[in-house]
Amino acid sequence: MSAPQKALKKGMTSCLSCHQLIILPARGGRCRCPRCGASVYGRIDGSLMLTWALTITGALLLLPANILPIMSVIYLGAGEPSTIISGVMQLYNSGMWGIALIVFVASIAVPVMKLLGLILLLVQIQLRLHFVPTQAMKIYRVVSGIGRWSLLDLFMISILAALVDMGFIAQVAAGPGSTAFASVVVVTMLAARSFDPRLIWDAHDGDLYATAVEPETAHRSAAENG
Amino acid sequence: MNQLRNTKPIPWQRACHECDLLLTGGLAPPGQKLVCPRCRCTLHRNSNHSVYYTIALSLTGLLLFIPSASLPLLTFSLFSFGADNTLLNGVNSLYKAGFIWLASLVLFCSVLAPLGKFLLLLFICCGSTWKFLDRAVAFSVRWYQHIKEWGMLDVYMLGILVALIKLRDLGKMDVEPGLYCFGAMMLVANLSSLSFDQNAIWQRLALRRDLRRAAL
Repeated sequence: MSAPQKALKKGMTSCLSCHQLIILPARGGRCRCPRCGASVYGRIDGSLMLTWALTITGALLLLPANILPIMSVIYLGAGEPSTIISGVMQLYNSGMWGIALIVFVASIAVPVMKLLGLILLLVQIQLRLHFVPTQAMKIYRVVSGIGRWSLLDLFMISILAALVDMGFIAQVAAGPGSTAFASVVVVTMLAARSFDPRLIWDAHDGDLYATAVEPETAHRSAAENG
Repeated sequence: MNQLRNTKPIPWQRACHECDLLLTGGLAPPGQKLVCPRCRCTLHRNSNHSVYYTIALSLTGLLLFIPSASLPLLTFSLFSFGADNTLLNGVNSLYKAGFIWLASLVLFCSVLAPLGKFLLLLFICCGSTWKFLDRAVAFSVRWYQHIKEWGMLDVYMLGILVALIKLRDLGKMDVEPGLYCFGAMMLVANLSSLSFDQNAIWQRLALRRDLRRAAL
């Protein structure tokens, strides 16, 4: 089976912002897209390293986000701070399991799944495991698509804090966990952005890190290898 | 204006931006989309009258933004005390409580990013008619790509729903007219990002450059 025609082997790449095909400079490195002015590189610089760093940061931040209280409802002077999980349990116990499920999925399942998915992709590429690339692409698309929904809980806190602000009678205050949770969401969204899906296909085709190959050298090495 | 319309498809070569496969082909037929044969990512979605629809939708969005940012979305009342929630109110109360990072994130995702999206889309689609705006339009398309995923009106809407149900047994919750404007704005925001096709913009710019070159 002949190897698929890849743009990078021909010394070209597509601009990630406007999708135009661009001839990369022969010495490698980055250049500016002539059409939209975004910086263009064969593969995102240090994509794996950056994604690892952001993923690990997100995983570490997930601990305080789940342990510390994210908000407290103070009703008639009394009230206990609630964590993410206890908020979900509260909803479930009051019989609203539909909403409890939505909040659970958005604020617990989605961040964890996102981190696991990213780690899976990264490990797969680093160890060159033989995954089916179409499935890896599915994971990548899910990870980058669902990221935004975990901000649901934070929006809810901001709405509640504005609504229930009556001094002594009732008050909703955000807790320290919410800052950690917001950071988790932002960091994982950035991690999904910095991950370059083209690396999945590079790993699959067996030419990972063969970046900045000049067309001439590529042809020469192919000729030498027969 | 009529010269700016391109009737025949331009053949081009491109690389899939998600799997780097080299491809040759035309643009997608109107109303349909082109998919990468290897990784199934959408290469080009050709909406009908993309530029005009996007102008109309982003103008609608900007007009709807005024009532949904100024009118209250929800009111909550308890023992004749009441408070209402506007888009900026929640940000303000978080800011006053000292959660600056959280407040700025909520402000950015629910107010600034959607507003920026509408403004950028309007500017891109209207500005692509004039020659002297070429650089600015290219710059805005790039920023639109950056800002696109941070506008989270639909997530905010779900947050409102959760808040509505969560506080139902604590006091009296009322839905205000601002919420209907907000819902409409959310719909328009999604429709405008669906109808926007940046290829149409690039075609306009390229076509004008060719016309200019031919005139010389």
